[in-house]
Amino acid sequence: MSRLTSEQKIQPHWWVKTFAGTIFGLTLAYAFVAIFAWFGPGGLDAPAKGQFNMWVLSPIALFVLSFTYLFKTALKAVVYLLSANIIVYSVFFLLRWLS
Amino acid sequence: MRVRGDILRTYQSVHTWTGIVAGLVLFIGFYAGSLTMFEEEITQWATPPSHHLPQVTIDKIDNLITKALDTSENAQQGFKINFNDASSPMTWYEKKGGRGLYLDNVMVHATLSAQGDLITRTEPTNELGDLIDMLHRTAGIAGKVGHENLGVLVLGFASILYFLALVSGVIFLLPTLVKTFFSVRKNKGANRFWLDSHNLVGVVSLPFHLIIAWSVVVFAFHDVLYDGLDLVYGKQPIFEQAKSAPVNYSASQLPPISTYIDKVNELTEGYSIKYIEFSRLSTQRPSVAISVMNTAEMMRNNTGDFIYMNPYTLAPAFSSISMSEDDYYVSYVASFFSLHFGGFGGELGRWLYFVMGLLGAFLFYSGNLLWLEKRRQKKPIQSKSNRFMANLTIGVCLGSILAVVVTLLASKWLYLINAKINNSYVTCYYLVFFAVLIYSFVFGAAKSAIHMQKIIALTCLCIPITTLVAITTPIFSQWNLNAFSNSAIDISALIFAAIFYYGALKTKKRAYFGERNSIWAL
Repeated sequence: MSRLTSEQKIQPHWWVKTFAGTIFGLTLAYAFVAIFAWFGPGGLDAPAKGQFNMWVLSPIALFVLSFTYLFKTALKAVVYLLSANIIVYSVFFLLRWLS
Repeated sequence: MRVRGDILRTYQSVHTWTGIVAGLVLFIGFYAGSLTMFEEEITQWATPPSHHLPQVTIDKIDNLITKALDTSENAQQGFKINFNDASSPMTWYEKKGGRGLYLDNVMVHATLSAQGDLITRTEPTNELGDLIDMLHRTAGIAGKVGHENLGVLVLGFASILYFLALVSGVIFLLPTLVKTFFSVRKNKGANRFWLDSHNLVGVVSLPFHLIIAWSVVVFAFHDVLYDGLDLVYGKQPIFEQAKSAPVNYSASQLPPISTYIDKVNELTEGYSIKYIEFSRLSTQRPSVAISVMNTAEMMRNNTGDFIYMNPYTLAPAFSSISMSEDDYYVSYVASFFSLHFGGFGGELGRWLYFVMGLLGAFLFYSGNLLWLEKRRQKKPIQSKSNRFMANLTIGVCLGSILAVVVTLLASKWLYLINAKINNSYVTCYYLVFFAVLIYSFVFGAAKSAIHMQKIIALTCLCIPITTLVAITTPIFSQWNLNAFSNSAIDISALIFAAIFYYGALKTKKRAYFGERNSIWAL
């Protein structure tokens, strides 16, 4: 394996990556949970599903945050996470519109 | 496994900084959490046996309730029927501060004499178990933000960092994991030994730690997370609103106690009832909480599951047990709680959680030591930041342990001098904690570590001695041989005395014969 040049290596960019991971990770978690809440098993009204949904928000958000530091630069972190958000929210609103 | 060098270095930084920021509060949360596995036993152990009145047989309970309701206004508002032999059959509050932790609650205990006459005894409650639970949830950080404890939010934030530390720790351990997993190298110096045991404990208990980190984040921030979910749900309510019945009942209309027992047997299988607690009896929202145990099930908490219903109509309101096949989300949510509280596996499960909690505390302590080793310089006097962190680590960790141990030791003596027991516990805890913290900064980490471990060992040793003195000496008239029923606490104290004494000897050896260019050398 050849050595990576300094441009190829992961840049620290701690603050922006942390912010992006925290905020977009949380919004992404809400997007996934929104789809699950409306269209997952039991629909909106299943007993205790609201609690279940609240519980699963945080692990999704935390894993996204954990892996945000793998992005090479802060800019890439923001762009990719923002796109992921747009895609999943689009799916949610599309499903809502269809149903 | 090969992982790119820059990824390893990135996650090593994440691990180091999240660990050092969150480690100390999590240390307190973990070791106090271990103790909360035996919260009820600790309270029982600390309460003088003379406070509890003898149990009555089930057929006499209705008679007891009728007589008590005739004599007390407070009992008509709410009371509790206990079914275990160590508690009084019936209790109610003469004075209670409402929800949450209050230090000067006064409780009336009631029973029937052999002739069927009502006997009552009024005593301040002992909240030692709840205080330890409070320490577990807040790390001893006082204060409130809105209606939430500041300490809970601090631990919630620390748990986010803790989650990051877990993931990053695993990532940067991956390349060497297979080779060095079970090797605890003692011959390669103290540093290696600490690193190997830190990694071993971390990897072996990783699922436990991921669960704890996740659930603490949920416990701390559920209000915020629910607020966000409201947007997702739109106009639909997340929770069904409880319907209040526009009927006023009074306690004298309560059905016999066997009705509730039958109802529980009808609703569940294999559960035994611990207690039945009635509240708000003369309001429009009366409630009865039935606490049930079944160690063969995944219970919400290590102290049991509960079923809420209307005490007059028996209409079910809420239960932590799923009552039908369609309620699968109820069981999922219950299992999340259970995994945090160790509500499964019975006695063995509780002891396992106790040990894993202590190992968790060890993880944070050893992590801090490794941070210090990594920044060690080859000179006798270490950098200012290093000395500060060492003093803080010793002061906070050993200070918090000693503070709890001293409080446990003081408990019986405080009853002897008739102190306001719960307030004295709190004073005792903070006094000892800050004394150790100051000691650590005045005399330095190396000396304090040795002295504090010795004092902890000595204090632990005095706990079973006090118990022995209490049950054999007439001046402790409140204590009798029944006090020996919770001897597990005294025996554990003895074991910890030995562990800390051994620790003190090892620390002393390191101080005088270990590496000279170290923060621990004397």
